[in-house]
Amino acid sequence: MKSYSQISGEIGEFSNLPFWKKADTVDLVYVSYGLLIVSLVILSYVLGMFNLMPHDPQALNLDLMMASPGTSGHLLGTDFLGRDMLSRLILGIQAYFLPGLLAIAISLSFGTVLGVLAGYRGGRFDTGITYFTNLVDSFPRLVLILLVIAAFKPDIYYIMIVVGLTNVPVVASLIKGKIHFLRQKNFIEAAVSLGLPTRTIILKHILWHNCRSLFIIQATLGMGEAILIETSLSYLGFGVQEPMPSWGNMVQSGANYFMQGKFWPSTAPALAILFTILGFHLLGDGLNNMLEGKRGR
Amino acid sequence: MRLSAVKPIALVMTREIVITTLLLLGVSFVVFVILYFSPGDPFSVLLQGQMASEEARMGAREALGVSPSWYTQYVSWLVNMFQGNFGTSIRTGLPVLGELIRTGINTLYLTVGSLLVTLAIAIPIALYSSVRGETVFTWPLTMFAYVISALPVFWLGYIFIYFFMHKFNVFPVFSGTGAKFSWLYSLLPIFVLGIGNGTTSEVIRYLRDEMGRVMSEDYIRTARAKGASVWKHSFKEGLLIPVTEMIAAKIPFILGGAVIVEQVFNWPGMGRMAWQAAQDRDFPVIMGIAILAAVFVRMGSMFQRVVYVVVNPRASQE
Repeated sequence: MKSYSQISGEIGEFSNLPFWKKADTVDLVYVSYGLLIVSLVILSYVLGMFNLMPHDPQALNLDLMMASPGTSGHLLGTDFLGRDMLSRLILGIQAYFLPGLLAIAISLSFGTVLGVLAGYRGGRFDTGITYFTNLVDSFPRLVLILLVIAAFKPDIYYIMIVVGLTNVPVVASLIKGKIHFLRQKNFIEAAVSLGLPTRTIILKHILWHNCRSLFIIQATLGMGEAILIETSLSYLGFGVQEPMPSWGNMVQSGANYFMQGKFWPSTAPALAILFTILGFHLLGDGLNNMLEGKRGR
Repeated sequence: MRLSAVKPIALVMTREIVITTLLLLGVSFVVFVILYFSPGDPFSVLLQGQMASEEARMGAREALGVSPSWYTQYVSWLVNMFQGNFGTSIRTGLPVLGELIRTGINTLYLTVGSLLVTLAIAIPIALYSSVRGETVFTWPLTMFAYVISALPVFWLGYIFIYFFMHKFNVFPVFSGTGAKFSWLYSLLPIFVLGIGNGTTSEVIRYLRDEMGRVMSEDYIRTARAKGASVWKHSFKEGLLIPVTEMIAAKIPFILGGAVIVEQVFNWPGMGRMAWQAAQDRDFPVIMGIAILAAVFVRMGSMFQRVVYVVVNPRASQE
């Protein structure tokens, strides 16, 4: 029920331009950097899976220890045992990539179910989810994970299940908010009065057409968090153990040489963590601004 | 204070205490469930496989006063905890409560300090960009916030140690408790955690959006029009409340970061104790830490509610 003058005033919103043409340059930069990082991560994951690395990541070379980056044959130098940095960085992605996807799958699927229940049924479900959210927020995540580690000595996949579960309330409350917002809209009312089954309305009209971008954004942010947690844990000595590389334990083992002024073995994985997490954050925020139409600057 | 000013605070305090009690019950239940299902409970460690048959084991349990059903175990554990008996550490054999209080104070010091550092970084940036709008500095400041939020905090710790202690000798490397400047040494981990806890960009964004929202309200325009102080009118809603909200929301993250920073700096706090306990499967210690951490988090959110009601007494009626 918009008058014509309003429509012409909001031409940007209704025009059929693809969303990337309507977006801010800054967001485009963010998203393209993020996509670059994501494709690098996936490429390295595949390379690591098929063992296609410049060197054997475990091979010692005692003649060439602590080589600086740019040494011929070792693009990113070598670590304190002469192992090739680049290969170890590539292999380190194995430590978090699949577990991170597991965490994302858990938080998105459970979060969606709970969010739909709370948004559609309301009442008791809503109270329950609020309680659950507050309960999860009362635990510092790392302390909860350490508790689980003490109890089960689990491998990274089980830890990522915990991480995924702690993210369930975030997704649930986002979906719930979205549903509360959408239910007042005309098209949902129209769908209900047309007699469409609730299943179709939820799955197609709400989740598929209106929550797609939310899922993508939450997935990128979730991957950033999974990397942070995996590297922190393997730094603390609970994750991947030497000689298998993980970015966290590479920082840790390189740190012994830090006080001698040899920064590189510990700095290279730290920079990898920094650039990767930055990429996932920027991708999530850029997509959020582009797809959800929020300019938060 | 007048009664009308106290009443809403009392109201909100009662409600928060009820919520906190419910949540702490939930937390203790989660902790109990995790440990209940853990393989090899302390009891079977105690028996060391000496009694093979199930009956003999049940008999030993009964003789030691360990009840077989899970709910009586839970309730007796809860009652013990209420009486301040958190059990004894398996590693050191000392009562957990004393250790918890000693390390908890250290961690509280670290956490509050780094919250202040985070706010000292975030508030000026947020205020600058919400008041000035887009300027040349907006993009660099935003990028800066993103980068320090993605920095791995352990590596930042090493950088700080190297530059401040090794290179410039600003802080003594070996600081025993009796050292002259040991309090100076404690500033390093506080700064590292304050910068690297990974929440800075979120805090900046939230504070900036809230301040920006308040700045575009009608009452600010009115204040501006009649020449009143804009700052005075926007401070409470635009800065004070968002800041307390962020403090309450970020305490769990900072406590999590404290686990790592305490490890890097050998800080004798709760996080390091949690790490040690996870290594040794020292259940009583890690249980106590989880509960105490939850108490810290709830205290933060109680503080936020009280500030909110002091600013806006009507909120206590909701």
